[in-house]
Amino acid sequence: MPLNRKIAYIDLTTGEIQVKPIPVELRNQFIGGRGLDAYLLYNHTKQGVDPLGPDNVLLISGGLLTATCASATTRTHVMAKSALTGMVGSTNMGGFFAPELAWAGFHHLVIRGKADKPVYLFIHNGEIEIRDAKSIWGKSVTETQWAIREELCDPEVKSLVIGPAGENLVRWANVMTGIKNSGGRSGMGCIMGSKNLKAVAVRGTMDVTIAHPVEALEYNKRFIDQITSSKVNQTMGTIGTPFIWGATNSWGGVRTRNFQYNQCDYSDDLEPERIDEIALETVGENHMAACFGCQVHCRGKHRLPSGPYKGRYSEGPEYTSQGAFGAEPDCKHADTVLTCNYLVNEYGMDTLETGSMISWAMELYELGILTKEQTGGIDLRFGNDEALIEMITRICYRKDWLADTLADGSLPAAEKIGKNSFDYLIQVKGMHNLHSDERGTPALALNIATASRGSDHLRSRPAIDLYHLPEPVLRKIYSSPVPYDGPLSSEQTTYEGKPWQVFWHENCYMAVDMLGICKYHTMFLGATHPNFEDWSRVVQLNTGLDYSPLHLWEAAVRANMLERLFNLREGMTRYDLKKGEMLNHRYFDEPLRRGAPGVVGRKIDKKKFIKMVDEFYAHKGLDENGVPKPETLKKLGLENEPSHLL
Amino acid sequence: MVTDEKTLSTSESLRETRTYGQCRCHNPSCMGRMRPDPGQQQVKCPGCGMEYRVHWIRPDFPRIRGPVWDANLKLAEEVLKKQKEGK
Repeated sequence: MPLNRKIAYIDLTTGEIQVKPIPVELRNQFIGGRGLDAYLLYNHTKQGVDPLGPDNVLLISGGLLTATCASATTRTHVMAKSALTGMVGSTNMGGFFAPELAWAGFHHLVIRGKADKPVYLFIHNGEIEIRDAKSIWGKSVTETQWAIREELCDPEVKSLVIGPAGENLVRWANVMTGIKNSGGRSGMGCIMGSKNLKAVAVRGTMDVTIAHPVEALEYNKRFIDQITSSKVNQTMGTIGTPFIWGATNSWGGVRTRNFQYNQCDYSDDLEPERIDEIALETVGENHMAACFGCQVHCRGKHRLPSGPYKGRYSEGPEYTSQGAFGAEPDCKHADTVLTCNYLVNEYGMDTLETGSMISWAMELYELGILTKEQTGGIDLRFGNDEALIEMITRICYRKDWLADTLADGSLPAAEKIGKNSFDYLIQVKGMHNLHSDERGTPALALNIATASRGSDHLRSRPAIDLYHLPEPVLRKIYSSPVPYDGPLSSEQTTYEGKPWQVFWHENCYMAVDMLGICKYHTMFLGATHPNFEDWSRVVQLNTGLDYSPLHLWEAAVRANMLERLFNLREGMTRYDLKKGEMLNHRYFDEPLRRGAPGVVGRKIDKKKFIKMVDEFYAHKGLDENGVPKPETLKKLGLENEPSHLL
Repeated sequence: MVTDEKTLSTSESLRETRTYGQCRCHNPSCMGRMRPDPGQQQVKCPGCGMEYRVHWIRPDFPRIRGPVWDANLKLAEEVLKKQKEGK
């Protein structure tokens, strides 16, 4: 049964390892994956814990459905207090790691302490070893993965690793489970590096028993048909996620030159079809790959077509890299984006934060806030492809003053650079925004302001708000599994009903993160993709647990509230521009200048935005400061947290 | 069983709303449906005049690759100009 997968507590300071079962009562409340990790983070850290100290915990998990017959249950979740934001750090990635961890007997790892020398963990069929990592420290992401396989003499070993960026405590360093299966955002690789933990390698052959195997497989065929027949997934299976960037740039929703423009014009070379041409030329027809148990195949494969790394094999880019290394720094060459994508993946750095930090520095340089002396002699203007590529390596290795400053994250960097550099920083809670520009889309603006891990699109973004769905369709989607009869609007530029949509998606995304399913298999990009009702069936058939759609919704609400409680404990206040749920002044002051006629001239209306946050808080049962009301905590069964049950 | 296997879920019931062979104008104040002829490389929205380059995922599956830059930038500039004059 998936339910017999264990939790392991590993202390890297003492070497002590404990293994425990996961009580079904906690499963019922927090399901697994990110939900149970939120419980563990809140319970195993104290207020003000040093994120880089031994008392911070690093949590690694798979979801409740990981390694079952369910489709795309591939996701690995990693959580800790973030050194980038000082709040919830959380990341979720595809690949093959979490299923292998489940076959090795575990769903959750709780890692604390700090090893006195570089180590890695090897977990295999219920056993956990702490091994010397001296020979792999300093290696890149893919070098590390191959070196571990060679050392363990097993090509089937899957590993979750950090690259040099994590070792050098770049605050937004990734954890990586493949060539480009990246756990980005909020710097979980930095936390691994702070513990001298280079990698977690897993290999398992322990069966996962399915509750109703015949019915589960039969239902999965229906689930897969629903997924693979959608237009959005057929597009992704052909040209990958870059199609998202192309569509967004087309109407004017892409951050360009940091935040000066909202469209990267004449950028044909960055478009997904161009990247697809490169993949066809360098790899051939079959250049789309998939994660464990997924039928979408959204991961492009290619070889670098030019530059110092010409011929190297690489994967991606995701749409995020087109934004981070194309539009934001205004470098309009596919070859540059692919080179930058390759470098951040090998170094183990978050593509979004890297591109955004460099683009921010470019604007500061052009404004004269940064001097050429401070940039180490680099002409850091927009559109300078060579400067962009060079800065990535400099930041990874903290090579000079500016690189070292940027590597510490946006808020400390703004403080160190001084002047009015903070005014140009497009961040929330200390984490940069996605490359998208939300000035024309109030729902998306609300999403990034209130996302638990900082400005982020994967926590609550109602992306289908951009599809202009008819009101009856919206009503059908957003009135289940809990009734809703408030306003809803097909128009993406309005404010009505958006707080409910953001609240609904916040719970939808938490639910898939608890189950271990990819977001491309839910109502993120496709309005006809599965959600609560479908998952309820999948859970029942695979695990035997009778979780109704409403049960899954309530568990998601509960887990989201725990993340909020953690942030509040760490000092989050509503209107604080550095630790709160407020947007940079440019959202309210600088209108959009490019894009479709219906977008041009738009900016966020501050009064309406504040009203949206008020409504969002009301849906969540919070007071006007964003703090949960006592009755809300009681209703969710959180009034006694931390309860220290696991 | 918590749900009836024979009934359609919300997402399954919405499947009939899918519109194969069409793509949507990207202008949020328009969002009209367009059905390019097979193999057509450019399409102009009859509703708002925005022009797009078309990519074919399959012979029966068009998608908007990107704007016709000169045409759409001109439209954006006209809107900006009108907004400035309006002030």
